[in-house]
This record gives sequence, structure tokens and C-alpha cells, in this order.
Amino acid sequence: MLEIPDFLGWLMDPENWQGRYGVPNLLAEHLTLTAMSIVLAALMAIPLGISIGHFRRGTAFVVLLGSVSRAIPTMGLLFALVMLLGVQLREVAVILALTAIAFPPLLAGAYAGVSAIERHIPDSAKAQGLTTWQLLWIVEIPLALPAIIGGFRVAWIQVVSTIVLAPLVGLGGLGFGIIQGLALRNFDQVVASALLIVLLTVLGDQLIGFAQKNQAFRLGNLSGGKTK
Amino acid sequence: MTWALNNLELVLQLTLTHLLVSLVPLLIGFVVSVVLARITSERFAPSVTGALGALYAIPSLALFVTLPVLIGTDFTGPTNVIIALTLYVISAMFFSARDAFASLPKPTIEFAQAQGLSAFQRFIHVELPLAIPGLIAGARVAAASTISMASIGAVVGVRNLGYLFLDGFQRKIAEEVLTGLFAIFLIAIVLDLALWLLGKSLTPWQRRLNA
Repeated sequence: MLEIPDFLGWLMDPENWQGRYGVPNLLAEHLTLTAMSIVLAALMAIPLGISIGHFRRGTAFVVLLGSVSRAIPTMGLLFALVMLLGVQLREVAVILALTAIAFPPLLAGAYAGVSAIERHIPDSAKAQGLTTWQLLWIVEIPLALPAIIGGFRVAWIQVVSTIVLAPLVGLGGLGFGIIQGLALRNFDQVVASALLIVLLTVLGDQLIGFAQKNQAFRLGNLSGGKTK
Repeated sequence: MTWALNNLELVLQLTLTHLLVSLVPLLIGFVVSVVLARITSERFAPSVTGALGALYAIPSLALFVTLPVLIGTDFTGPTNVIIALTLYVISAMFFSARDAFASLPKPTIEFAQAQGLSAFQRFIHVELPLAIPGLIAGARVAAASTISMASIGAVVGVRNLGYLFLDGFQRKIAEEVLTGLFAIFLIAIVLDLALWLLGKSLTPWQRRLNA
């Protein structure tokens, strides 16, 4: 009854591994867009999250942003930004949308990590004569690191799940095979591309999770940072 | 606004489909994750959490088009979307549901046991009511992300509010895209409020405790 698509055949075909829409090129585009947006978001969100956690001011903002951002459909955000900035600037628009998507989890992770540190730890560090900068670099950031990495884990999942839609607004990335395959009813291509995306995403998730556990272990805190 | 008012019938019809493909997974996913969280023993909890965590990481569009190969459904249409969203709800809620049951006060459970309640009675009359705040908190997170994620179903041919993104983009009507964005945001907020109220009305003793 069911005809299983020959996605392995599609993957083996050297034709699909070269040119503008070959797997290596799409993968490179996929990773570049993802990395750029996550790094951009991290540069803003992590310092902000750490300072909100440190001074314990603006907590309401983190909570509000967390719940509001969850209600905004990432697909709609992507499409709206591309339309508002114009198709000419679609690359900028996509990176902006993905950055906006990566921002809240990174902020929440950095904030949660620093604010979860028990009060007496920074207090005693200050009593030892550490300046605020020393306190941040030597005490608070290392202790918050598992939660900060946890923020990257959520950001990775959110960004990748949206970037597969980038071909709909005229960009590439691994989602291209799904979108084109669906349009052409070439289901071998659809399933092969989906498989590559699943592999990449789960691999990335597990790698970040491993780094997180490793860091938590180093701190002697086997439970790790809670992120979800 | 003009576009939304001129196409009100379409928007309402898409909203209805959107609600259907989000609420069905939420309901099924809620029940399954509560039962799964309750019956999973300590021993298997880490592997179930790990498997569900990996599942949660899979981009929804990729899962929508992988399911047909695994279960033999059509590539387009609502079935895959509903099944995939149900899986996401389970993976999002399993962790918080386990937390909700794990943080129940021990003496209360032991007291119920001493009163001679069977395990099932204890679950229905003691554990479940007490776990409601935690379960509702998990359901609110799952609800918002399910409503948002359901729009991606439009890519595989489900005519819900996500259709406004695809159609508005192709026809270059920014208002149409913004209407979809706003409508989905609104549904998510309303559902969140409804769940919050549901949680309040199911736990009347909490109000008395606070008063």
C-alpha cells in the first residue's frame, strides 16, 4: 500500500551534492545563517541577562518577554520582516527574525543562571575584596555557565526550526529540499532533506547538551542547569 | 485592518481550522503526558526524557514530512500535523508533569494511603488535584508553542492561519501577513488566559489558603 520514497537513492546521487542547491552549499548557508543570528543575539542577550541577574532589576521584563515571545509565531515573524524590509533585503530580514527568535531564550538562560546563585556566595566574594568585575568573571559567570549554555540549546532548536522555512522567502538552507520537493512532489528529496535536517539538529542539540552537562559536572552540580 | 475586515470570513474559517489542529494535539498530548509521567518508573525516566528531548529538537516541518514514511500517511494534509504536534506537546509537558507529581507533599500521599485509598483512587482524588498548578503551568507553555507551530502546517497544505503568511507573501499583501501574525498571537494569549482561569477554578482551596 505504502510506497516508501527512495530517499537513500537521492542521497547517493552525486548530482544532489554539487552546485548552488547541492547539499554542501545548502548546509553551509544553513549553518552560516544560524550561527550569525545566534551570535548576534548572544552578544546582546547574555550581557543583559547577566546584569539583570546581578542587579536583580528588570526581572519582570525577562518574564514578560519570555511569555510574549512564545505567543508570537516564528513563521509569521519571518514573513512579516521580509515583507516590511523588502525582498531585496531578505537576508538581513531573515537574520533579524532569527536573532529576535534566539534572543529570549538566551536572555532567560543568562538571567536564570546568575539569579539562581545563592546570595551568600557573591556576598562572601565581596567580603574577600573582589571588585564587581572580578565578582562577575571569577564567581558569577562560571557558576551561571550551565544555564547560559542551556539558553544556547533552546535558541538552537528555535532558530533551526524556523530557518527551514527560509526557502519560502527566497533563501536557501537545508529546508530548500523540503520546500522544492513538496512543490515538485519529489518526495525522495523531501524525506532525504528532512533526514539531514533532523540529523544536524539533534546532533547540535546533543553537543550543546553535552557541553552543558560537562560544565555542570565541573561545578560539582550533577543536576545541571534547568532549561526547559 | 481593512484587509482583515474585508476578508473576515476567510480569517474566521482559517481560525477555526487553526484551533482544531492545535486543540486536538493539546488535549491528547496533555492526557498522554500526564499518564506517561505518572507511570514511568525512576529507572526509565532518564531515557524517556532523553528520547523526548531529542524529539523536541526536531524542526516541525521536518517531522511533518518524515511521519508519512514512518506511518504511511499522505505527505500533505492535517493528519501528520496533528500527530506531530501531539508528539511535541508530550515532549514539552512530560518533564513539567513529572516535576508536578514529584513535588507533591509526601505526608498527604501517605495519609491517603493510610485512609485505604487504592492507587487509582489516590491518583484521581489526591495526586491529580494537587498537581494541577504544575500541570497547568506546563500546559500553558505547550499551548503557546503549539498554536505558533501549527501555522507551519500551512506549508504541507493545512489551511489554517499560517496560510495567510504564504498567500500574503506571494500576493505581496503585507496586511494579510500581519493579520495572520496578530490573529495567532491573539489566540495564544486568549488560550493562555483560559488555561490560567481553568487552573484557578480547579483549585478553589488555593484561594482560601491565600485569603
